[in-house]
Amino acid sequence: MAKPRKGLFRSITIGLPYVWLACLFLVPFLIVLKLSFSQIATAMPPYTPTFGDPATWWASIKQLTIDNYLWIANDSLYFNSYVTSVRIALISTVLTFLIGYPLAYGMAQAPQRWKPFLLMLVILPFWTSFLIRVYAWIGILKPEGLLNQFLISLGLIDQPLIITNTETAIFIGIVYSYLPFMVLPIFANLDRMDKRLLEAAADLGSTPLKSFWTITFPLSFRGVLAGCFLVFIPAVGEFVIPDLLGGSGTLMIGKTLWMEFFNNRDWPVSSAVAIILLLILVVPIVIFQRVQDREAAR
Amino acid sequence: MKTKSLGSVRKSFSPWTDPDAKPFIRFENVTKTFDGTAAIDDLSADVYEREFFALLGASGSGKSTLLRLLAGFETPTRGRIVLDGEDMTGIPPHKRPVNMMFQSYALFPHMNVEQNIAFGLKQDGMAKSERNDRIAEVLKLVKLENYGRRKPHQLSGGQQQRVALARSLVKRPKVLLLDEPLGALDKKLREETQFELTDLQYELGITFIMVTHDQEEAMTMADRIAVMGDGRILQIGTPPEIYEAPTSRFVADFIGTVNIFDGTVTARNGDRLKLETGAGHLLEVDANEESVSRARSGEKAAYAVRPEKLRISAKELTGPNVLSGEVWEIAYIGDMTSFHLKMDDGKIVRVSMVNASRESPVQLTWHDRAWVSFDPDAGLLLAN
Repeated sequence: MAKPRKGLFRSITIGLPYVWLACLFLVPFLIVLKLSFSQIATAMPPYTPTFGDPATWWASIKQLTIDNYLWIANDSLYFNSYVTSVRIALISTVLTFLIGYPLAYGMAQAPQRWKPFLLMLVILPFWTSFLIRVYAWIGILKPEGLLNQFLISLGLIDQPLIITNTETAIFIGIVYSYLPFMVLPIFANLDRMDKRLLEAAADLGSTPLKSFWTITFPLSFRGVLAGCFLVFIPAVGEFVIPDLLGGSGTLMIGKTLWMEFFNNRDWPVSSAVAIILLLILVVPIVIFQRVQDREAAR
Repeated sequence: MKTKSLGSVRKSFSPWTDPDAKPFIRFENVTKTFDGTAAIDDLSADVYEREFFALLGASGSGKSTLLRLLAGFETPTRGRIVLDGEDMTGIPPHKRPVNMMFQSYALFPHMNVEQNIAFGLKQDGMAKSERNDRIAEVLKLVKLENYGRRKPHQLSGGQQQRVALARSLVKRPKVLLLDEPLGALDKKLREETQFELTDLQYELGITFIMVTHDQEEAMTMADRIAVMGDGRILQIGTPPEIYEAPTSRFVADFIGTVNIFDGTVTARNGDRLKLETGAGHLLEVDANEESVSRARSGEKAAYAVRPEKLRISAKELTGPNVLSGEVWEIAYIGDMTSFHLKMDDGKIVRVSMVNASRESPVQLTWHDRAWVSFDPDAGLLLAN
């Protein structure tokens, strides 16, 4: 008698996340997908067809078109936006890794009683709104901002550095905002590592530096990979940072999408932009999953 | 295996009795404190070349710390360690001619068996062909020839243990340190491996220092055992010395099972003492050499006697060194039977009887009255 009930409980526990994903991920995705094949219309909502009356569904389906995708393919603005986004995201990811790895390593090496405190310091910025923190960077980086005042007062520069509205500002913003996503998975990996392995390596004649490259780094590689994807994927579609810090000179895809949607009110084209962005991001996600599967199979 | 020749060689191997023999490893007044607490307390000991030396103690006795000091993972707070005439002070672990086999094995999970073993050789910049020869040789030694390409997690516990051993042997260290080397193996495999390890040690001629909490393991494998407690060595000796001639109550109690009778010396006739126990028993015992000069009439002393040196009888016995009590527990173990007798004063005396024939000559059951007797030289007089 207990068995079928147990089975029901199992189905519910396993089913819940699927229901969640179906409602909040799959359905919105299908809506956007359908929108990307729709046509712009001067109406509310501003597209057609709308699939209102089931009797006209066949007629509605015939209205679907790939024009939006052709439009995007023919306008170099979109292509350039994608390339710029991927380039900025890649460079930012590398920079975040270069800063995040030593940080995570230092945390993992710290005495046990300090670790919760150090972890809190990494997470602390999340207590303030992301938007406010990005605005704060404008105050720091602008020509008459804190950084320039400081450097001028030190006598290091005469003229203020122009950082805001450049790519440099975007890099600073992304690295700052996404650093915890790099640090946390690497730290989790390093902290879990058996310290005896390093003793064994030293015992077998390996210098500490060599042990790092032959033992520590390869064993933390999964954390590095996770951190890189956690930074790269959202950075490609990032909108707030390039909009506030990058100015009009840098066109990233998130901003292009925003402009299509809000300035041009072209929901179908912006949906198509979003779908293509998704396709671009699926590639690294699939690679990541395959690497993880291979690791798990070892 | 060359077991036959081994026995004879082992017997004659006792450099510690030779005053001219040069110690291979010297611990000189080594102290190691952690946060003000001494894990090793002013410890001095000598280990000889080709010796199989066991550090035996309960957890927290400092045995592992001593091993880690020798490997260089810890530095002595005071004192020094000399290995083969060279002061090890300030020499980092990667430059010491010792290799360690870790209790957890510490195999590199991202490398296969061959890569694990090759790791140490690569650090020496050994040519690849020579390296491969050495790896093949050591894999054969631990009987894992066909497992070179496996990852550690694809191996059983026993196989992992062998890889760890191979990895620590492949560099041909002057000293091999073994931290509870058989701790993770099941009983049967452990017993097999014990003999394999001792054979291997003899064949290779490497000095072994092993840390263990298992006295049976230490007695089976080691030439000499150092019994440790509270960061000190309480006694160093061959397994028979440690078992039959413990120099302290702690060692007597720690190694094997022992009955200890506390009492007062009432009379003395040469080496023969009369000891009156608290329960009013009068024991006639031989004073062992060391305590001869010390134990005088009126002094407190303790007599320690092992269960297998007591005789048990269901019939009433008379004479000196006879105790009687109620059979409280009987444990039939197969090769022997162990009895717990409850004396009239409540003290439990343990007696073990070898089951030399299939039918027991002594018919005793729970709550029977039983008598035990022993010879004056069966036990050992310990100073309190």
